Amino acid sequence: MEKITLSTKDVSMEYPGVKALNKVNFEISTGEIHAIVGANGAGKSTLMNVFAGSNPGYTGQVFLNGEPIEIRTPNFAKKHGIQIVYQEVDTALVPSLSVAENIMLNDIVMNQKSSFMNWGAVRKSAAEALKRLNVTDINVRSLVQNLTLAEKQMVLIARAIQAECNFLILDEPTAPLSDTETEELFRVVKSLRESENIAIMFISHRLHEVLQICDSYTVMRNGEIVHNAPVTPETTTKEIVEKMLGRSFEENFPKEEVKIGDKFFEVRNLSGAYGKVNNVSFYVKRGEIVGIAGLVGAGKSELCKTIFGSYKKTGGSIILDGKELKINNPAQAVKNRIALVPEERRKEGVLVQETVAFNLSAACLDKFCMMSFVQTGKVNENANRFVRDLGIKTPSIKQHVRNLSGGNQQKVAVGKWLAADCDIYIFDEPTKGVDVGAKQDIFHLINNIAREGNGVIYASCENSELLSITDRIYVMFGGEIMAELVTKDTNEDEIMNYSVGTRAEAKAGA
Amino acid sequence: MQESAKNNNTARFLLNWAAVITLVLCFIFFTLFKGSLFLSGINMVNILLAMSITTVFGIAATVTMAPDGFDMSACTLASCSAYAFVSSYLWFGCNLAVSILITIVVTLIMYQLTMFLILICKVPDMLATCALMFVHQGLGQWYIGGGAVSTGMKSSWGAEPARTQLSDAFSAIGRAPYIIIIMLACVFIAWVILDFTKHGRFLYAMGGNKQAAKLSGIDVKKYRYIAGMITAVFIAIGGIMVSSRGSSAQVMCCDNYLMQSLAAVFVGRSVGGAEKPNALGTLVGAMLVSTLENGLTICAVPYYVLPAVKGAVLALALIAAYASVKEQ
Repeated sequence: MEKITLSTKDVSMEYPGVKALNKVNFEISTGEIHAIVGANGAGKSTLMNVFAGSNPGYTGQVFLNGEPIEIRTPNFAKKHGIQIVYQEVDTALVPSLSVAENIMLNDIVMNQKSSFMNWGAVRKSAAEALKRLNVTDINVRSLVQNLTLAEKQMVLIARAIQAECNFLILDEPTAPLSDTETEELFRVVKSLRESENIAIMFISHRLHEVLQICDSYTVMRNGEIVHNAPVTPETTTKEIVEKMLGRSFEENFPKEEVKIGDKFFEVRNLSGAYGKVNNVSFYVKRGEIVGIAGLVGAGKSELCKTIFGSYKKTGGSIILDGKELKINNPAQAVKNRIALVPEERRKEGVLVQETVAFNLSAACLDKFCMMSFVQTGKVNENANRFVRDLGIKTPSIKQHVRNLSGGNQQKVAVGKWLAADCDIYIFDEPTKGVDVGAKQDIFHLINNIAREGNGVIYASCENSELLSITDRIYVMFGGEIMAELVTKDTNEDEIMNYSVGTRAEAKAGA
Repeated sequence: MQESAKNNNTARFLLNWAAVITLVLCFIFFTLFKGSLFLSGINMVNILLAMSITTVFGIAATVTMAPDGFDMSACTLASCSAYAFVSSYLWFGCNLAVSILITIVVTLIMYQLTMFLILICKVPDMLATCALMFVHQGLGQWYIGGGAVSTGMKSSWGAEPARTQLSDAFSAIGRAPYIIIIMLACVFIAWVILDFTKHGRFLYAMGGNKQAAKLSGIDVKKYRYIAGMITAVFIAIGGIMVSSRGSSAQVMCCDNYLMQSLAAVFVGRSVGGAEKPNALGTLVGAMLVSTLENGLTICAVPYYVLPAVKGAVLALALIAAYASVKEQ
């Protein structure tokens, strides 16, 4: 097959006050899987958006097979075979339309000559695209709003491969996927490389995945390409991380010793979340970090939200300091000093249109009010304190949160609860889409919360993280708790074993 | 688990068809109480007659709301269309076809102002059309000189009208069966456009997720404009129907249809699990509104209490429709 090459010369991109890309020279040819790694804010997404036509204001030159091209619109990029699958799946899907239409949307927009829809053909092509992904359980007639996050991701990837595609950009595709789905995706990605003359640009924070499937990688830092090399068996995540951060990095986060107190928070036989949480019981001691493990769809998020009152509770009780709590909505949970840092931070965790200062006081605005009037001085004082303590990288506390990077948004989402001074902190996938540097900061933060005698519930599908930060782990499957494990006596294999539905009792009996 | 999934499916089915079920229940209820007085051919035609205008305005609103637009000023604009229609027929003596054409063109031209505010000035739909409501009322009444346009009246500048009589064809538009046929045609056309052409799907794509639609290469401004123009045509048709039915263009003759037509769209939103404004749902919604009105009148509910009962039943249908919206 004829190789097609996409390259850039001195491509720069400037936002007011920020140089997002600085004279980037990059080259990729079809038939390779190329990883682009870097801390959040390193310019990966900006560069990919240049290719995708969403950053029309770039300077410098892009070449396709040596011919200079001007990628100034998404349509132009797509016509030249550059497809992108964005990390935030909801921004690219139309929830109220069917799966078939969502998969075929670009095709209908750009290629369909006839005004009339040929529903049969649309559904057939969509089903074929899904079949190439080996996804059989998604009905092309169902509405996208009824799909899970992982299924939505599959729909988007199906959309990308369905179109004329030489360069496929996957922006953190595996973040919301379970291990099986990730493997499935890798299978597809590899077969695309071999059989269809496609180059895949793969952005990921999971470096072991990069080593697993990529042929070469590019490291970006502060808008520049700092390293570019093929992936060899000798390549280690440690050396990539060092290039990303420009400094060496302790790979495993050491668990800090914290004095564990008495059992003070307990969940008994909790059911709810429309059947996605069944008869869950567990407890938390003061100073303890309790992990909730399980695959995507195991009910971790649902459990967190049921405790927090945002999903309906159908049975069971929540007990804090020996007193049963009445929690029917999040407001009551907050009143009872329970905090939730939700998974989808941009949608649920922070108010992106508001300033850093307002966000950091949003959970306890009462504290900063006198007779219902907000005292701006106190709000700012509080904001300055947390920006300093948490190391939130922002030009000013008046900055709108949507302009911060993912990791810093997450710090704001955590910070607003720290200001509220809660007893129980629930974290739902706090490190999703966060770079290694910020991840360390967040771990440190969570440890500090525990040290002050609070309880932490930490739900994550990253088992390695659970093993390094928690004291005990509960493993969930199908909305139920399968096993309770003591972190220092367990390992990833054991967690995975329970995550796929093995029951602790069954194992003991066997 | 399976039991609850089954229950869920049943519940979802009931919610999806809540409006239709309410409609059927209304029919059963009124038939039981009033028998053939309600369930007669003549009365069925009455219901269709009564719902036709609401339906057409509802269709106009459906097309606007498909791409997540909104038009508060649709019915004030329709009043202007009605003035244009009757005045060009009576005052200027144009024949019926030309009058209809003029009405549609005038409405399209006036809708440019709406589009200008929304697309060029980027005023949110709701606010822009709120302001335009007053503009339409004022401009329209300035044109007709503050009085109705009807037979035997002079034009607003005092000239003798070119016609003194309305022809049969003129009045036929507002009578059965033509008004019903027009209504069904409007529903059919909107249904085909929205559900079976790519243009309709683009409108829905914009309504579901504007950003995604834009990134897919849909020219969202162009399509919002197209939706506006289609809406304008339906508004003009609605205005023509109202004036033909009333044999004149009374002052603010269409203004009161706004809330009913919006109610029809909202009730119809969830019909069949569509979860978006859709033509057939709007038809069902309008039918529900007018069946209620008709049945209650036959049951001798005083006309001044009618709105309360109508509102209550509508609220129930809406509660059912929105109960299926997932908790956030």
